[in-house]
Amino acid sequence: MNGFIVENGGLQSSIQDAGRRGFSDIGLTQSGAMDEMAFGYANLLVGNAFNTPAIEIAMGGASFKARSEMCIAICGANMQPTCNGHKIALWQTHLLRRGDVIAFDFANEGQFAYIAVAGGFQTPFAYGSYSTSLKEGLGGVEGRKLKSGDLLHTFGNRCPVDRRKLERKFIPKYPDTITVRLVKGYQEAMFDPKSQETFFNSVYTFKGEGDRMGYRLSGEKVVPTHTGILSEPICYGAVQVPSHGEPIVLLKERQTIGGYPKIGSVIAVDCFKLAQLKAGGNVKFKEVSLKEAQRAMRAFYTFFKAQEA
Amino acid sequence: MSRRYAIASESSAIVYFGTTIDPLISQEVQKAYQALKAKNQEGFYEIIPSYASLMVSYDVMRFDFDTVCEIIENSIHQAEALTLSEPKIITIPVYYGREVGLDLELLAQEKNLSVEEIIALHVKGLYTVYAIGFAPGFAYLGEIDERLATPRLASPRKAVPKGSVSIADRQTAVYPTQSPGGWKVLGRTPTAMFDASYEGLSLLHVGDHVRYESISKEEFLKLGGEL
Repeated sequence: MNGFIVENGGLQSSIQDAGRRGFSDIGLTQSGAMDEMAFGYANLLVGNAFNTPAIEIAMGGASFKARSEMCIAICGANMQPTCNGHKIALWQTHLLRRGDVIAFDFANEGQFAYIAVAGGFQTPFAYGSYSTSLKEGLGGVEGRKLKSGDLLHTFGNRCPVDRRKLERKFIPKYPDTITVRLVKGYQEAMFDPKSQETFFNSVYTFKGEGDRMGYRLSGEKVVPTHTGILSEPICYGAVQVPSHGEPIVLLKERQTIGGYPKIGSVIAVDCFKLAQLKAGGNVKFKEVSLKEAQRAMRAFYTFFKAQEA
Repeated sequence: MSRRYAIASESSAIVYFGTTIDPLISQEVQKAYQALKAKNQEGFYEIIPSYASLMVSYDVMRFDFDTVCEIIENSIHQAEALTLSEPKIITIPVYYGREVGLDLELLAQEKNLSVEEIIALHVKGLYTVYAIGFAPGFAYLGEIDERLATPRLASPRKAVPKGSVSIADRQTAVYPTQSPGGWKVLGRTPTAMFDASYEGLSLLHVGDHVRYESISKEEFLKLGGEL
């Protein structure tokens, strides 16, 4: 049998791909990897297509035992991974032998790490995706976070012939202060010029109030002129401001419909960065044009598509 | 009716048909939604309708915002000539027993009505599905009799049981699974709201009409209801 046995699921590990599409109209959340960049690099290193399911480890504390020879790569947050107790590097491939145990400590940089395996994990396909929606109990392993004893089968044990390593210049950093770009829209008009000035000139702190649904930020209050709006569809990255005046950035496991005013949306590639921000980290918002935002998104997906070719 | 297009994100466009809960506006949304679903445009990842708006999330490798708005607008124009298909009427059986109608008594006191009167008012209505969201298969139905209109609980419940039939403001809904929530609970249905065996996975779809039917505890249990 190929694959892993979960020895310890840690705080929250789950199977994720790039997410679920086409079911928002009946209320299914998008779900998917919180940081598609680290997820993408992990798959790239082991020779998988971009959207191949991987293990997402949140915060750390997990360990897995290889039941067969396999080729893996670990990318994202630094949880100081070890193999049989020996430190192993992120951002490169590793060949595991049957019985090898890879273990993760708690992240000292970033929040989410990804383990991709050559060939991909063989968990059930649920509503167009392998992603686990923890909120809805769908996908992955019984729709829940991984726990000790779970078997994660893999497709074959195909290994790239060469050992691969990501070039240093591509390795992302997860600093404590980040700037995220935002496209204005939605109920922008419900935030008067003074509120907008406050919003764009303040530094917000992520105190750890958040999960896969979204992150609530603390700092200067921004009060919308209306407390609520008629419930409407919500997209990835939407920044909603409830009456308490502190922005909430909605991420992969967000609800599909909601009724709070939104000042705009954080662009997808910066949502990936935001997802990696540790509790205590700071966020600044910067407005960008729609054209610039789309350029950034196209560049991101073009890069990964090009690697698949 | 004038429509307003807005940027939701770099890959989502939203169109507003109005700003109020109104059956006519909802019909406009439904027409646009049906037309876009039928068009099955490649690269339109999500088409989400709500009370008075509709959002399209699209593939930025293929489209820019203006092109997406044009496609939506064209679909709406084509749909204007069409009448909506007759709404499906779905009957949802509800057991309004006090052990499952967690807020019945309190609501009765608040509204100065008897529990029986509350049930009668709730069963009387024919409701429209305005939107689906919050959770898979959670349908926002409107509008309930003004005499029943009630705010959400001051402190939401951590776990509202699956199948709970509930109200908030002038809306009513069924919780498809156990989940946190602040809507006031009047009863419980044995009917699954979300199931892999349903066409489109959800029992209800935007535009459908819903009627609640009061059933006895025995019928509730026979239909597979759980207390």
